[in-house]
Amino acid sequence: MKIYAYGIIDFHNKLEEPIEGLEEKGIYNVSYRDIGVTVSELNEETREITDTCILEHEKVVERLMINFTVLPMRFLTVFNTQEDLLSMVEFYYEDFKNNLQRLFNKVEFGMKVIWPADTIKKRIIDVYHKTKHNISVSIDSPAKTFVKEKFEKHIIDKEFQEEANRCIAVVDDYFNKIAVEKKLKRLQTESLLLNASYLVDKDRQNEFKQAFEQLKNAPSDLKFLFSGPWPCYNFITLTKKPSSVDYFNTEDMLNRLLAQQGFAQERNSV
Amino acid sequence: MDRQIKTLQDKNSYLDLHRQERVTLLEVLDRALDKGVVISGDIVISVADVDLVYLGLKVLLSSVETMERLRGAPMAGAQEEPT
Repeated sequence: MKIYAYGIIDFHNKLEEPIEGLEEKGIYNVSYRDIGVTVSELNEETREITDTCILEHEKVVERLMINFTVLPMRFLTVFNTQEDLLSMVEFYYEDFKNNLQRLFNKVEFGMKVIWPADTIKKRIIDVYHKTKHNISVSIDSPAKTFVKEKFEKHIIDKEFQEEANRCIAVVDDYFNKIAVEKKLKRLQTESLLLNASYLVDKDRQNEFKQAFEQLKNAPSDLKFLFSGPWPCYNFITLTKKPSSVDYFNTEDMLNRLLAQQGFAQERNSV
Repeated sequence: MDRQIKTLQDKNSYLDLHRQERVTLLEVLDRALDKGVVISGDIVISVADVDLVYLGLKVLLSSVETMERLRGAPMAGAQEEPT
């Protein structure tokens, strides 16, 4: 029997309402000091990722969000024993506490912005060919043609990036004063101009949605996919490294051990 | 939860229920597969390879662009295909 973890919550007592998790198992709270890890038992040795089980995980986290601040675990976080689970919580306790306090009464919104990349690029190329950047070379010089093409590509790519940054700044400005924190991923593909996550106070959700409505109704060639409110998946920050790295893999630890034995000089001199 | 997923700028754009669910799933995938509390170490079992976030993203892009094509208004720059 293994233990499947859904999230860390700011509550260390028994859950009052029954919640059903993966494999129709009941969710319970494993407490550590003043926080808890919501878990259920897991029978199967392995599970395939299916639409159903990932939505079950999300459903549990969202159910917990109604009453608690939740740090959602990554999907498919499984422990062999409750002792393993507790040693993990003990190790990350300060991190969990800090995140729970920072994310109290907050939700996440997501927004993907798609722009007409081909049209933008074509417009940049047209402008480029009408400007002084255009270098005249004789067509019978392959080397010069090669250099010219490289130079053109560099200029066009640079302008494309700058145009993207200008456009993102305009979009982001709609939410800047409302969001508490944000994560902006730019141009993950040429078409995906922006993949943004915003952290918003629960009390300001409607304000945030209204800002999106304004953005959506403003004239532009942009396409939007707006979603939320979500659990704060994108705003969890763990500062501690896993214990296995701390104790077995680092150069520092090895040097410290050698120094204790008086071997540091010899090792460094090798 | 009162989840809203809105796509496209056109107010008349339409998502049928199945497609809406698909987009919701992809948004969940985009978060739950490598975000949240990510514990790495010996005490966590690796049940399955979950490094699929960009796969989800590509499918999502394709979904939006496919919708555009279905609506008879091809979107410039639509090159991604489902992976």
